[in-house]
Amino acid sequence: MFEIMEKSLQTNLARQVDLVQIRGQNRIITTCIVKNGAVEQFSSASLGGVSIRVLVDKKSWGFSSTNVCDVDNVEKTLENAAKLGKAASSLKKQEIELEPVKAVVAEVEAPVKNSVGIAAEDIVDIPSEAYKGAQEVGPEVKDVKATYIAVEDEKYFLSSEGARITQSTTRVMLYVDVIAKGAVICPASETLAHTGGLELFDRVTPYELGKKVAEKAVNLSHVKAPPPGMFNVIIDPKLCATLLHEAIGHPLEADLAMAGGGFGSQVGETFSSELVTIYDDGHVPGGLGYFVYDDEGVFCDRTILIENGILKSFMHDRESAALADVHPTGNAHAWDYSVEPLIRQTNIGIEAGDYTVEEMIENIKDGLLLEGTFGGQADSNADFTFGFQSAQKIENGVLTEEFRGANVAGNAIEVFKTIDAVSKEAVLRPGACGKYQFAVQGRVVPAIRCTIMVGGTGG
Amino acid sequence: MTVEWISFSDLVHKNIKTLEKGTTHAEAYFTMTETTEVAVRNSEILTQNRLTDAGVGFRVAIKNKVGFSCTNTLTEKALINAGEKAVSIARVSAKIPHFTLPGPGQRVTVKKTYDPQIAGITVEEAVDVAQRLITAAEGFDPRVRAKSGRVVFQSGWRGIVNTLGVDHEEKETKAVLYLGGVGEYNGEVTGVCIDVEFSRTADISPEKVGEAVGEKVVKMVNPQPMKSFKGTCIFGPEACSYQIADVLTDALKGESVITGRSFWTGKIGEKVASEKFSVTDSALLENGFSSRGFDDEGCPSKDTALLKNGTLQSYLHNTTTAHALQMENTANASRFPSGFDMVRSIIGKGYRTTPESFPSNLVIQPGDKSKEQLISEVEKGLVIESMAGFAQKGSGLISAQLSQAFFIQNGEIQYPVRGGMVSGVAFDWFNTISGVGNDVKQFDNAVVPSVRVEDVTVVGG
Repeated sequence: MFEIMEKSLQTNLARQVDLVQIRGQNRIITTCIVKNGAVEQFSSASLGGVSIRVLVDKKSWGFSSTNVCDVDNVEKTLENAAKLGKAASSLKKQEIELEPVKAVVAEVEAPVKNSVGIAAEDIVDIPSEAYKGAQEVGPEVKDVKATYIAVEDEKYFLSSEGARITQSTTRVMLYVDVIAKGAVICPASETLAHTGGLELFDRVTPYELGKKVAEKAVNLSHVKAPPPGMFNVIIDPKLCATLLHEAIGHPLEADLAMAGGGFGSQVGETFSSELVTIYDDGHVPGGLGYFVYDDEGVFCDRTILIENGILKSFMHDRESAALADVHPTGNAHAWDYSVEPLIRQTNIGIEAGDYTVEEMIENIKDGLLLEGTFGGQADSNADFTFGFQSAQKIENGVLTEEFRGANVAGNAIEVFKTIDAVSKEAVLRPGACGKYQFAVQGRVVPAIRCTIMVGGTGG
Repeated sequence: MTVEWISFSDLVHKNIKTLEKGTTHAEAYFTMTETTEVAVRNSEILTQNRLTDAGVGFRVAIKNKVGFSCTNTLTEKALINAGEKAVSIARVSAKIPHFTLPGPGQRVTVKKTYDPQIAGITVEEAVDVAQRLITAAEGFDPRVRAKSGRVVFQSGWRGIVNTLGVDHEEKETKAVLYLGGVGEYNGEVTGVCIDVEFSRTADISPEKVGEAVGEKVVKMVNPQPMKSFKGTCIFGPEACSYQIADVLTDALKGESVITGRSFWTGKIGEKVASEKFSVTDSALLENGFSSRGFDDEGCPSKDTALLKNGTLQSYLHNTTTAHALQMENTANASRFPSGFDMVRSIIGKGYRTTPESFPSNLVIQPGDKSKEQLISEVEKGLVIESMAGFAQKGSGLISAQLSQAFFIQNGEIQYPVRGGMVSGVAFDWFNTISGVGNDVKQFDNAVVPSVRVEDVTVVGG
């Protein structure tokens, strides 16, 4: 594939445009879903292709992709991209400037201890064990779905500026979703995932994961819904990961920020409690958002975004970096070859603080401990809604009653100003994101204490 | 037929023949699409894309153990590999009870699912549509900003062949206009307001979509906070197409019924909703965005009554779920279900996945009242045009943030609402529906009007 891509870079057309970026990819995805004991879906997908992005007239991008990777097709794709760029260039008001970067020539591989290339029978065992763990919890467990996914990527990046990068990455994920029927029907779910191989299950086995999720679901199917209203809360790392990613992370993506998001472009201003330091780092070992180089060939550095509450930087691609006159941060990522890179988070994190969770609970008179996540969404103004899986009532510094999940909502900047404690331990969590296209990412998160609106249905 | 499609189709047919030996059933689902897409960001055209993709997914069964494998490499060797992989997976898979594939059926033709004008669209034309979208929105009022949008034209082929004699191919086109805008006034910014148009023909109106966004944005200027209350909520088409349709779909899916996690398990013939609530699945709808001649297993399409005046009539089935529940197959096998699913997000849809039950066009039958009439009868409540947040599967619990809502008192809209949430169980809401509007709108998998619900809990912001 590399040779074919190289060839199209040597064509006359490639020399006539301002910039050519070619990305190629071979991806193998193995999925095995076990639902209620039976293999519901076991599939193998072999997907590959090439995409070409060109900059024409210094102000218009054209992008085209194809699944047919022969010389003719790749050259046709280049022609398409140039034509697409031209089509809108007369409507573009401003020139596009790209922050210059060193043209990297490199071959990198994310570390894998235990290869995912195992026999089909052994693959089936992984989600089956998770099912077994869940099912053994008891008859109230009604629906168990365990999903194993392995994604093996080989990616190529070539540019007319001289970059030649090959990256190999393996990611393994196991999702367990349980629905229990006690007094009410109640779901619970949990994920194990990382960049690496099957060593993912060295610390927590699929069986243990299944058991844990089912116990949670059964337990929650017998408790009440939480009361609605504004509460002092402790947000556990899992829920904190969603809040951080959706409501703080997205507004810190330069494309959304420049579109007039909640953080404006006020670098140097205070946006959060001084207890909060936030960063994005492509090199967190095992992080699901582990990347050495992004899809513009830029090194994925550790970027401090908010330091002690003060906005330090946004996440950038080369175009936004040039506009902001800073160095690109390695945040241009595309889900696969077929789509354009966008500004995405890699592994976003909050630096750990000084408190134990127990100490954080002690100071709350009337509040809630919110645990787990059902995902959520936020807009560029940092207004968010997301679901938590369960809650515990805190009365005079003591956990008293357990509740089912509901949603929380508010404005993240307002919520982050109310943070008055951050826990000592930050946990690496897997995450996913659907900003225009899919992505898998990591989050490194402690528990936080703040004030938030709970949309409960209980009394 | 394009040359590429014919040779691809031949290759797939040849491959299915070889899979006849050594399998009980084998099926190939294959597509070829070309998509032209223009993205709008911050009042400008951001990028222009042209994406081509084609691929095939093989589903094979050995007795009722099923394996699946797909590829987008269109060589004979890659197809043989994919077929063999599916067979080797089937060997180690568990038995799927009642697994079946359909046999050949009567061919159905649906009107207006292909428009040569879309197939021949040029990039320049697509860019022009996007520019008109921006102009219409921002020309509506000087405060309006076109924030994010896309114009998509897609044309392609869809084919299915199996060892039981199913052999269908159909060409199709789709067009989507989407625009999200905000209003900027006195240093404040409104939330994002969205309008969409889903069509199978090139007969689309960027002006209408742009102006609709402009109108929505202007209405959201100067929002006010409100106190919590229990009252009447009118869910506009957009809100219905998303969270409400999600709850309906989840409860109606054959798969949910088999596992017993559907709230409507065993309730066929029972009254589960208000008299005013009738829902059908209409795969034959003319110009329907998800209309089709055959479903994604190759069953001829049909229209199915799901709820009639509040009484549950049927679930949504594919061949296997219908067989398992001994019910009539509704031809709802879909490889393009919407809603979040981790596996599909990672692998993709269409030829990359196996089918499941999902609506084609889920139609909430319109009532005879205009939205204004629905509002005029409300003492205290909200019109919720859009809300953010997911419906919880199984329980039907919705607690969503109000992203575009208006407070009603004494039959009149008083002001746009700032913040706040709506919270409740959709299955309870279905029972307290007091009116359905005549303002139907087409979405990707739903054709829905405004629905008015009584006794809804609203949480103030």
